[in-house]
Amino acid sequence: MSATEPTTQPTTKPEAPQATPGPRPRRAESAQIAVFAERAALPVTWIALIVVYSITASSTFPTWSNASNILGSQAVLFVLALAALMPSLTGDFDLSLGGIMGLTAMIAGVLNVNDHMAIGLACIIGVVAALAAGLLNGFLVVRCDTNPLIITLGMGSVFTGIIYYLAGSQTIVGVSTSLSKITFSDKLLGIPIEFFYGLALMLIIWYVSTLTPLGLRSLFVGQSRDVARLSGIRVDRIRWGGFVLGGLLAGFAGVLFLGTTGSADPTASGPYLLPAYAAVFLGATTIKPGRFNAFGTAIAVYFLATGVNGLQLLGAQNYVQQLFYGAALVVAVVLSRQLRRSRT
Amino acid sequence: MRNVTQRFGAFRALKNVDFDVHHGETVALLGENGCGKSTLVKILAGINVPDPESELYLDGRPHALPLPPGEFRDLGLSFVHQDLGLSRTLTVVENLTIGGLGSTRRRINWRRERSRAREVLRSYNVDVDPSATIDQLPPVAQALVAIVRAAEDLKLYRERGDLGHSVLFLDEPTVFLPDTEVEFLFDLVRSVVAGGASTVFISHDLSAVRRLCQRAAVLRDGELVGEAQLGQVSDNDLVEMIVGPAKQTLVGRSQRRTLADDVSRRPVACEISDLRGGRVYGVTLSIHETEVVGIAGLLGSGADDIPYLLFGAQRAESGTMSLNGHAHPIAGMTTVDAVYRQVALVPADRRRDAIVAPLTVGENASILVNDRYTTAGRRIQGRRLNARIRQLLDRFDVRPRRSDVPIGQLSGGNQQKVVLAKWLEIEPRVLLLHEPTQGVDVAARAEIYRLVREGTEAGMGVIWVSSDFEELARVCDRVLIMAHGLVRSELTGNDVTEDAISTAVYRYSTDEGAMLAHAS
Repeated sequence: MSATEPTTQPTTKPEAPQATPGPRPRRAESAQIAVFAERAALPVTWIALIVVYSITASSTFPTWSNASNILGSQAVLFVLALAALMPSLTGDFDLSLGGIMGLTAMIAGVLNVNDHMAIGLACIIGVVAALAAGLLNGFLVVRCDTNPLIITLGMGSVFTGIIYYLAGSQTIVGVSTSLSKITFSDKLLGIPIEFFYGLALMLIIWYVSTLTPLGLRSLFVGQSRDVARLSGIRVDRIRWGGFVLGGLLAGFAGVLFLGTTGSADPTASGPYLLPAYAAVFLGATTIKPGRFNAFGTAIAVYFLATGVNGLQLLGAQNYVQQLFYGAALVVAVVLSRQLRRSRT
Repeated sequence: MRNVTQRFGAFRALKNVDFDVHHGETVALLGENGCGKSTLVKILAGINVPDPESELYLDGRPHALPLPPGEFRDLGLSFVHQDLGLSRTLTVVENLTIGGLGSTRRRINWRRERSRAREVLRSYNVDVDPSATIDQLPPVAQALVAIVRAAEDLKLYRERGDLGHSVLFLDEPTVFLPDTEVEFLFDLVRSVVAGGASTVFISHDLSAVRRLCQRAAVLRDGELVGEAQLGQVSDNDLVEMIVGPAKQTLVGRSQRRTLADDVSRRPVACEISDLRGGRVYGVTLSIHETEVVGIAGLLGSGADDIPYLLFGAQRAESGTMSLNGHAHPIAGMTTVDAVYRQVALVPADRRRDAIVAPLTVGENASILVNDRYTTAGRRIQGRRLNARIRQLLDRFDVRPRRSDVPIGQLSGGNQQKVVLAKWLEIEPRVLLLHEPTQGVDVAARAEIYRLVREGTEAGMGVIWVSSDFEELARVCDRVLIMAHGLVRSELTGNDVTEDAISTAVYRYSTDEGAMLAHAS
């Protein structure tokens, strides 16, 4: 099962002998405008949203403190969305990433609070656990050749069970404040420093995925496993890599989560997975339409955050968040499907 | 059937074909690969939609074409398709039940169905576990299940009693069957005919046709070229009807080497010994540098498997491939090994296996070599790479000359030129081609022939597997004829002609059938 729907069904219709299309300047021009419109659609909508909120909630929304709140408080989601991007790039799904994130936070929290371990070491152990979880997912899906959707759904439940077991079904409070300091309290340009961690990760992913041979090979694996295999690309290794990196980044997200909230709540990580995937799919409709990409994902995360934040400032109830994230995911998937269809 | 025409785009697979089947008759439908036999069957099964002027009469009554799916059951037709038409992940019981389900509203009693299926299989002396899924069965058992299902359908039609006729269509049923089972099939057909039904038997195997049928109709290039009473024609006459009189070569010129240029004096590029796997049962061959070796064979001959086995895309059981003085085992090799050893494969199913349609021409063309154009930071140097891609597009005459459009928007011929360009970039020692000009227009075909021949100048050897014998005659220095998993004959020099290839392919496929018939 691939995250991107197969677009190339073997066609039974032999292609008609046809003249090769010559240069058609006018068509090309209008096509270029269409491409540009596609690319710009999400950023433009984002800006429009900001303008509308700035007018309707003029006293609360367009302030520096609100902007820094949005950027900082969503850093966890930002990094988790990057984690979800990893298997998506290679054509897989990992629905256990929310569980992995919670697991890392819980392991580090329990080690630090209950066992009085130094916070740095506790976090490292948590991240190693996340890496192992990614390896296990990769083994189960790639090596055992199973459906990633179902396997990671099951593994997500397994990880959640472990979280509850570790926590004794209680929230772990009193995590060392030095972690909060280097994630949330320290600020750069008035923005919590964890936002810049996410930004740095995003730039690295962008560089590797678009500018290096490894990134292009992953792209081929993600778009067509058959072609990749018949081009001598190590398909299994790259897919496995997607799961491992996804787990690792989810572990980072877990550390940021622990620092941001200062506690490890066994129920808190659950709701993060859906908006993360909403951002990944929404991101695939922009910048490089039709492809999962890091910049698009970043823009989508903050588009979603802005939307929810503005609605809350306007007095909307909590259910709006669910509604907005869910609708965004559905719209994003439909849009990217249309994009891919128009492209082939 | 009257005046049946079937178009796929601008290509006409069937041209005004008239075809009759009489009551209680076993008639053979003969012709080369791609002549339109299966297309005709698929029209009757309601799979293909023919042109509007096509007509179908049963017992003198007209029926509107296209037939709605499933309608063939009400008309008394039943089929064993070339690909068997079974649901591969379902069990034997489920596959046998699907056709016979009377009412869709009644609940299915699976226990009863299972015991019924067991009885049915036993009544045909077919030893298959009814609870196994089709995937778990060997090909022979799969074919038997498909045949039993079709025969059961016919029985059902007879019991229903509202049909004055019923017809069984068998599309290449003997390909999957060993000789003992072929005899089983023939007995079955004879009993079907004795029960009042007619049979249409599609096969390449002339000796099987002779044993079973009274009459034959021959299709060539989508046209009905003749009918014959089998008692009155020789094998040679039949083969000539199937293959056609010597055709004039169409566009362009031959890309074969001149006879003065003796390829056997050149060093060997690749030596393959005792290759087994798929339908290949022991093939040994060596290819000289710059040589283009064609492999011709009918469906099921094993020719189609050779490129994929040699590339590690399909599991081989044994065999070694010597390249550059090193002998590599073929069993267990992967596609990664193949590319590393500079073996290249242009597969037949281009859209599934060779191009990623939404990615650009440039990305598709450079995926194998983009790591040659990187900085120390592993960053691809876009400018250097793009310059190289532009050169390739010029040399391979890809239209439009744009590297940034999705490759799916190009015509089939231009896509194939990009695929060829991609592989020639690794400077292959051996290039494996499988139906490289399928869905490619005439002009691009000629260019592909030229480009492959140009590619050999650096010493590359080529294996060219194609069902288009005219193509093989135009490009190959040597053509191997395969039948039943083995190389049966070799044509070299002036013997490499379309006629010689066709005749040899049919002769060896048929002789083998005759030998098996005598043995049994």
